[in-house]
Amino acid sequence: MDDVMKERMEQLLDYIMKNCLWQFHSRSWDRKIQNDGVMGKTAQLLCDEPVEINTPLDKCHWVDALCLVEDYRRYYPWISDLSKEEIRQLVQSVHERLDHLTITGSLNLELNDKQY
Amino acid sequence: MPYHEFECSKCIPERKQHAVVKGPGEDLSMALPLGYLNTIPGTISERGCAYCGAKHVIGSPMKDVIHLSHGPVGCTYDTWQTKRYISDNDNFQLKYTFATDMKEKHIIFGAEKLLKNSMIEAFKAMPHIKRMTIYQTCASALIGDDINAIAEEVMEEMPDVDVFVCNSPGFAGPSQSGGHHKINIAWINQKVGTFEPEITSDYVINYVGEYNIQGDQEVMVDFFKRMGVQVLSTFTGNGSYDDLRGMHKAQLNVLECARSAEYICNELRVRYGIPRLDIDGFGFEPLSHSLRKVGLFFGIEDRAQAIIDEETARWKPELDWYKERLMGKKVCLWPGGSKLWHWAHVIHEEMGLDVVSVYTKFGHQGDMEKGIARCEEGALAIDDPNELEGLEAMETLKPDIIFTGKRPGEVAKKIRVPYLNAHAYHNGPWKGYEGWVRFARDIYNAVYSPIHKLSFLDISKDEIPTDKGFETATMLSDANLPEEITKSTTLRQYTGKYDSVSHLRTKTYPEFEPKLTAGAA
Repeated sequence: MDDVMKERMEQLLDYIMKNCLWQFHSRSWDRKIQNDGVMGKTAQLLCDEPVEINTPLDKCHWVDALCLVEDYRRYYPWISDLSKEEIRQLVQSVHERLDHLTITGSLNLELNDKQY
Repeated sequence: MPYHEFECSKCIPERKQHAVVKGPGEDLSMALPLGYLNTIPGTISERGCAYCGAKHVIGSPMKDVIHLSHGPVGCTYDTWQTKRYISDNDNFQLKYTFATDMKEKHIIFGAEKLLKNSMIEAFKAMPHIKRMTIYQTCASALIGDDINAIAEEVMEEMPDVDVFVCNSPGFAGPSQSGGHHKINIAWINQKVGTFEPEITSDYVINYVGEYNIQGDQEVMVDFFKRMGVQVLSTFTGNGSYDDLRGMHKAQLNVLECARSAEYICNELRVRYGIPRLDIDGFGFEPLSHSLRKVGLFFGIEDRAQAIIDEETARWKPELDWYKERLMGKKVCLWPGGSKLWHWAHVIHEEMGLDVVSVYTKFGHQGDMEKGIARCEEGALAIDDPNELEGLEAMETLKPDIIFTGKRPGEVAKKIRVPYLNAHAYHNGPWKGYEGWVRFARDIYNAVYSPIHKLSFLDISKDEIPTDKGFETATMLSDANLPEEITKSTTLRQYTGKYDSVSHLRTKTYPEFEPKLTAGAA
């Protein structure tokens, strides 16, 4: 990833960390479901692809993704100039970094408690 | 992020892992304060107990319930009335508190008979209230009274009453948060699914983790009603016992304070398939996002947008009046749990305040993750601080104001730092668009209080100026502002009423055509 894309990835990630709550569920498996659900739909929406909504949980992910996409387009207008492939790569790298901060690299000792 | 060691806590080395400074370019995987652990011996914590967390924070805001503590009268007295969780039924739950008044003889001979007599006496004294929650305390837990059995006996003898038992004695966790957990799980295990509520809308939510502090819940429910959304239950501010027994019938759980109530949302998701949507009810932008998300979930986002546009146009010029005057003021954001992340970013963005420290008394590491992610670089994050650490932080960081509870707040006043009550508010409600302006007004009044400035003068040694008149808050705040701000014709101070809540109780709402009928037409 070049420096420009890296900086853009940090901007998008920082926006999520500062403004969203969906990535901070209390258990690692829920965080995984949330990150996969919202980031997956974010990529689809940014690429103007159809989004499947089959369950109430899907709908929640779509709602969070849609608001995120609207904000991304509002605050980071450069996103509209990217190709679909670039968007996919960018969102994928945000997703990986988000998983690291909130799941795999998290220092939260409660993440793997078996009960809520 | 390096751990921060307080000078005053060098003799308690375990404390070092409970504070970090958010440095440039550093992230959550580098350091995170420990949290939700037993208080370290030798440090004087400002936390509450698990009984307090269950009763005072979560149980008692339920409005149509006799709240009976099975224990010494001091337990119930100390958790009575201090949090301003009002209700629309003449504040029954604030006016009255009940205890079995256990004494030494009951510890020796048992207190089950006392409990039963107290329950019957309370129901007879309050014949219009048919619901009761019994809170276990350390004393009744240690002697092993079978509260559930007594509750069953009373329900058998009085068929029109229903009783909920909350087994959360004071020692049942490191802090009040242990009690939040226990009452969440007890409620879903004992009561959810035992009542079939009336469904009046196509769009039905539970509003969870909202305690109606000075009317917050009523402000938010007003927005939902304007959207045609039925708030089936509120967990628990201004909430009704029977409505909360029907939580299983909602389509969506809208979760505000994840710290105190995410447990029941997670269980409702697992047991009943109801998804959880986390929202922020504080601040124009986060609140707008929250309403829009609820609207999008049900496909009625146009209704949400109409409210957002109307409220923003009405209140934004007033918020901005305060923002211009609060810009750059330093704040220590020291609440109990969730407000450290609900407010950390938005008081910076929308009021211009610089958050120099966040702390949490009873939060978990998950709260610190959110709070640290949201605050600016350089902020000092502290878990479960003691009084000396709080003093040291204030002396080092020199905040213009702190938002905290009344215990540390009174300490702050002694060193001439103004404080606002983050738990019970000053002139709330602080949720909603108008509420956010009321919060800004309270901050402004605290920071620029002429009395506060005078308090720095020591009449025993300082020269008291006698050649100047009394300064007003506006004279202090506007001294260095440009004319386009001070003479602005668009910006204005708060113009709402003293009571911004009561009128909502008699308000009428638009009736929306049900989806099926609309489709048939």
